[in-house]
Amino acid sequence: MASRDIHGIDAPWGAFRHVGRDLRKVDGLAKATGAAMYTDDIALPGMLHAKTLRSPHAHARIRSIDAADALRLAGVHAVITGEHLPVTYGILPWTQDETALAVGKVRFVGEPVAAVAAVDEDAANAALKLIRVEYEPLHAYLDPFESLARHDPPIHEGRKDGNVSKHVHLAFGDVDAALAEADVVIEDDYVFHGTTHAAIEPHCAVGHYGADGVLTVWSSTQITHYVHRALARVLDVPAHRIRVIQPCLGGAFGGKSDPFSLEFVVAKLAMTTGRPVKMLYTREEVFYTHRGRHPMHMRYRTGATREGRLVGVDATIVIDGGAYSSYGLVTTYYAGQLLTGPYAFATYRFDSTRAFTNKPPCGPKRGHGSVQPRFAFEVQLDELASTLEIDPIEIRRRNLLGEHTTTVNGQRITSNGFARCLDVVEHASNWKTRHGQLPFGRGMGVAGSMYISGTNYPIYPNPMPQAAVQLKIDRSGLVTVFTGANDIGQGSNSIAQYLVAEELGLALDQVRVVSADTDLCPVDLGAYSSRETFMVGNALIDACRKVRPLVVRAVADHWQVDPSRVRFVDGVVVELDDPPLQPAGVAVGGEARPGASPPDAAAGRRWMTAAEAFQLAEARFDTLGATGAYNTPTLGGDYRGGTIGAAPAYSFTAHVVEVSVDVETGRITCEKVWIAHDCGRALNPMLVAGQMEGSAYMGVAEALMEAHGVNRFGLHAGPSLLDYRIPTTVDTPELAALIVESLDPEGPYGAKEAGEGPLHPAIPAISNAVFDAVGIRLKHLPFTPGKVLAALRARKDAAAGTPAPALAGGAR
Amino acid sequence: MRTAISRLSLVEPRSLRHALRLMRDEAGLVPLAGCTDLYVALNDGALRATRFLNLWPIEELRVIEPRGPVLFIGALATYSSLIRSADVRRRLPMLVSAAREVGGRQVQNRGTLGGNIANGSPAGDTLPVLAAAEATVVLGSATGTRRVPFTAFYKGYRTTVMRADELILGIEVPEVEGRQWFCKVGTRGAQAISKVVMAAVRAPHPRVALGSVAPTVVRVPKTEAALTGGASVDEARTILMSEIAPIDDIRSTAAYRRHVAGVLLGRFWEQTAAGRPVY
Repeated sequence: MASRDIHGIDAPWGAFRHVGRDLRKVDGLAKATGAAMYTDDIALPGMLHAKTLRSPHAHARIRSIDAADALRLAGVHAVITGEHLPVTYGILPWTQDETALAVGKVRFVGEPVAAVAAVDEDAANAALKLIRVEYEPLHAYLDPFESLARHDPPIHEGRKDGNVSKHVHLAFGDVDAALAEADVVIEDDYVFHGTTHAAIEPHCAVGHYGADGVLTVWSSTQITHYVHRALARVLDVPAHRIRVIQPCLGGAFGGKSDPFSLEFVVAKLAMTTGRPVKMLYTREEVFYTHRGRHPMHMRYRTGATREGRLVGVDATIVIDGGAYSSYGLVTTYYAGQLLTGPYAFATYRFDSTRAFTNKPPCGPKRGHGSVQPRFAFEVQLDELASTLEIDPIEIRRRNLLGEHTTTVNGQRITSNGFARCLDVVEHASNWKTRHGQLPFGRGMGVAGSMYISGTNYPIYPNPMPQAAVQLKIDRSGLVTVFTGANDIGQGSNSIAQYLVAEELGLALDQVRVVSADTDLCPVDLGAYSSRETFMVGNALIDACRKVRPLVVRAVADHWQVDPSRVRFVDGVVVELDDPPLQPAGVAVGGEARPGASPPDAAAGRRWMTAAEAFQLAEARFDTLGATGAYNTPTLGGDYRGGTIGAAPAYSFTAHVVEVSVDVETGRITCEKVWIAHDCGRALNPMLVAGQMEGSAYMGVAEALMEAHGVNRFGLHAGPSLLDYRIPTTVDTPELAALIVESLDPEGPYGAKEAGEGPLHPAIPAISNAVFDAVGIRLKHLPFTPGKVLAALRARKDAAAGTPAPALAGGAR
Repeated sequence: MRTAISRLSLVEPRSLRHALRLMRDEAGLVPLAGCTDLYVALNDGALRATRFLNLWPIEELRVIEPRGPVLFIGALATYSSLIRSADVRRRLPMLVSAAREVGGRQVQNRGTLGGNIANGSPAGDTLPVLAAAEATVVLGSATGTRRVPFTAFYKGYRTTVMRADELILGIEVPEVEGRQWFCKVGTRGAQAISKVVMAAVRAPHPRVALGSVAPTVVRVPKTEAALTGGASVDEARTILMSEIAPIDDIRSTAAYRRHVAGVLLGRFWEQTAAGRPVY
């Protein structure tokens, strides 16, 4: 399908005034000074505090719950259990298998069972201890292979496919024939261990049930709209009487993109008690809430010609889903669907199965569903390169997918800057003189990736816009933007400000953004799938281009000139020469402000402030406002599941990583990461670089430190930020963010995503760099010192001709 | 946010003598200073005590000074003050190295040496230093003062020879002959609990102490004897790896800890060899 050029990639007034500059975030100073209001900063008169009683069992039937003693405790206002909130929900309409509080049985250690509202947290905690729950423990499934092998008793009753959460099998071309004819086939197993988001702000929600019958929920969510829908369903309150607001948010990374127990609980308790109710999860509870990256057991077979051209890829993937579905259906597809770039596959097949286990439920984390297969495949590609004695960057070049093409599974590719990404990291890292040539113990590795920039498929099928905005144009010269977009730190509110100021020719402080409030803002689907900048950006340009002609016309008629001679620049309207001498760039120097006299005035040309222009337009056309929307074109392959993973544009990334390996202690130190990322156009290069650095940091952390696991009882192995390790500043490698711009025809001014794609290559690039450093292939994450030592020993033993000993008990 | 009117009470002593009398008179009174361990335990529900004695304002326990042949370090000396102290830098540089490894700046500003000793974690960063330096713990009570060799201070996992009425007043460190060496292998570069921590002194009779490899911090006399007797470092390493008894836990495995302890011994021996620059 041809790509659409919907708004153009050029500056609306000749030259960009805001786009492409390292501008401050709209909320930067408030966050830096501590003035920003997070959900936990909300305190309402008479507010109660709620706490959750959680399951001590990985899998058990609930025989009875007795809360009588808890209710008698002084300061306790209400206790609720599953019977008060029995309606199921789930982010996907096809897999609504969760309840706010356990009904009938518990499926993981830490699952919410009951909740207490009391005058303070201490009283609520004391009440939790008085709730007596009688459990009948059931067999706990902690291994996805066991879950698939047996399901008596099943984790979820009444399913015809036992403990299978989702199974996807898709084949494109004759993989078997291609692999049979390949000159070389590499086959291996890879394990991704599972990680969580570790956002610094824990989940928090405040519920308020007003005298007007309106239920308001403030929540640290990245999906206000879906929370709104889920609250209406579970609480049986009409959606128009519910208002959901996302205050300032302290990090999410995908960990706040489900409706969560606490949102329903504070709402229900507020309705029950008539008082506002707040619940703030402890760090420990955040670990139980999880929704982190799925553990995956992956078998890949990749065939290539002697020249290194890929002829076939065959993947079998078993996914450990944890206790509930969450986004699992999508994860199961993404595990296969998102691998088909940036390299062209002649044939491809994948079989992925998500199994339920009695562990905290997995979900989406930055690079949803595709970070794990990307790790496996890029390591396998590196192995292919070393087997064929081809340079690892060169083998990637030989398989480039190219731009304006279609992948083997039918995804439309528009702009593609991957070849340039490879050039940039190769050059910046001095790859040619250093890879394979560093002393033993030091090495370099490369990896590439592709990721979606928004997805064309809304989570619940509907024909309405996926992103919508509203503009209010005020006589004061202010434009207020209303958007349902969730700013989770990625800067979507800032991008909205820059784009509207750019489109309407205003100064930045003339644009204010109101976001993520379901009463005020048009629906946006939320901050997931790297969709906000792309989709909301397009919706904003759409809205601006509806209202801008009215203002221009009002001014042009006032001056009695042709509208083409009216230009808005930084909040000042100027009359251009006739004919315009420089149609592509208005010669306005410095930071012209409303009320100030721009240089053009000196030249004797007429000018007015934007406020005056808005007043002229308002007098002529009545109150000024506009709505704008964006919907993706119809995309995806013509087969069941073909639309999952279809995106209006794809971003591309290449990393080169340099590591040193201490062969005595087994410790890997990631010394430097060169990150080249094709983000289409960098609307704010500083924010893009920040996303690239943050992504690479997170990838390095997942490779070397993070591990989200449970012990043999299903109890979380270390639910704290001391035991769940993320890198400190001293552990963080040097990060070089190298922006590549491909100017996508469909993105706003050519922009694509930057927040998730740049994570992917970090993990395989580290494994590949370790191979360059010491000659071992690390295929099981995380790359702990114990695994490095075991691999070094195995290599030594293999060289000596003795069989390698098995890896001793999960070496860390 | 915890907003209840607290059930906890804090007793403020007027002086050290007063504090010692309060310890004598009230069983169950828990002394606190920097609170870097105590607040965590309280918040976690692991500490049931409700009455606490605030030692933080007792200035005389903050002293770091040479006293005759020994260096006295008051129990309230914070990690930051150890790092800054010229006396500690000169006489016990391995303690400075250890203090730098504890937590982050905030913890270093609040956490105290006495607290590290009293908490008695086998992973305590300063404890191998005190064991290798053959320090003495000075204990005070209303009835007097007594001195206990640091190596005899712990009876087992987080249990000590202290009586319920006693407070740690400080540490006395004798002159340490020989080159000092310290290394912590953590799960990350900072803000980590050790997998293995080692302090050692290169002297005619080398001293080696390890943390995180046994229920308490330990000296390894067999290993030390081997090194004293002129054994090669490889031989000593073999002895060390059988002499310690680490466990599997969330931070590491027994096998890895044993291996790394051996690696550290080798590095200690190599890096403190004659002719190597003093670190």
